[in-house]
Amino acid sequence: MAASKWYRAGRSLLGGLNNTSLGLLRMSSRTHLLSQQTRTFIQMGTNLKVVDNSGAKRVKCIQALKGKKGARLGDIIVASVQEVNPPKEVKKGVVTSTVKKGAVVHAVVVRAAMPRGRCDGTQIKFDDNACVLVKYAGNEYEPIGKRVHGPVPHELRKKHAKILSLAGYVA
Amino acid sequence: MRLEKCWFCSSTVYPGHGIQFVRNDAKIFRFCRSKCHKNFKMKRNPRKVKWTKAYRRLHGKDMTQDTTFEFERKRNRPERYDRNLAENTLKAIKKIVKVRADRESKHILNRMKGNKSKERKRDAKELEQSIHMVKAPSALQKDPSHTLPKVPVKVSQHSEEDRMKE
Repeated sequence: MAASKWYRAGRSLLGGLNNTSLGLLRMSSRTHLLSQQTRTFIQMGTNLKVVDNSGAKRVKCIQALKGKKGARLGDIIVASVQEVNPPKEVKKGVVTSTVKKGAVVHAVVVRAAMPRGRCDGTQIKFDDNACVLVKYAGNEYEPIGKRVHGPVPHELRKKHAKILSLAGYVA
Repeated sequence: MRLEKCWFCSSTVYPGHGIQFVRNDAKIFRFCRSKCHKNFKMKRNPRKVKWTKAYRRLHGKDMTQDTTFEFERKRNRPERYDRNLAENTLKAIKKIVKVRADRESKHILNRMKGNKSKERKRDAKELEQSIHMVKAPSALQKDPSHTLPKVPVKVSQHSEEDRMKE
């Protein structure tokens, strides 16, 4: 009886091992496919990096102002601030974030991992999803921050020329 | 309008074709087709992929140094339009392309030069080594006309002492 128990345990152990090894194999063969994951629209719940000096670090999209499926490169979204930069000490005192955690803000998507068609028929895509916080002033959206980090697409020229002029690189 | 080069295969990317990927440090990778884009995503090195220009150049398959390549260059300053200049350039393009094609074909011929004698040698060796597959040895003995001329071959013979050891 005891022997049979041992035997069973041994088999189950082996079986477990077999399963894990198979799983590992499968993983390794699929790794390159995983890296080719399809990118989707910026929709409710998407986390975006904030690439200006408004003080916010990460926002979560809660609404796309245009389009049924969601926002794409250059679109405006409504977002809630998830993370803000900690207050920083400088010569003249302490610099705190201009936006508070939990605030609802408007933002322009300046980088998106999902490819977007350009006017000449080519497509463009970026490394990550990033946005710049904006404020509705009178009849147009103006950036809150005074600086924009990283590359931005030239498609912003029509509606957000200010962001384009603040950016270091235009792709 | 600018004709860019594909990052992976170095072919020309014509307007309206391909995709471009902008990395966060603002480096732009242009691809002529999805094949090149996929290979990039798989993190393949174009120098190790045989069909790319980079591989062919690295391994001496294509002509790399030539004066005809000097004409094709990236210029960031737009040239002021000059009717005569434009006309001459258009004329020259045809000529240069022809010269380059000729030189390239010559380069390939040069590269293949030693191949024929090598092949001959290999074939002769194969014939010598495996003539028995064509004719059975007994048939060869009966009709000596089918055999190859006898070639003296050195055979190292075991000395008496070695045999004793065994």
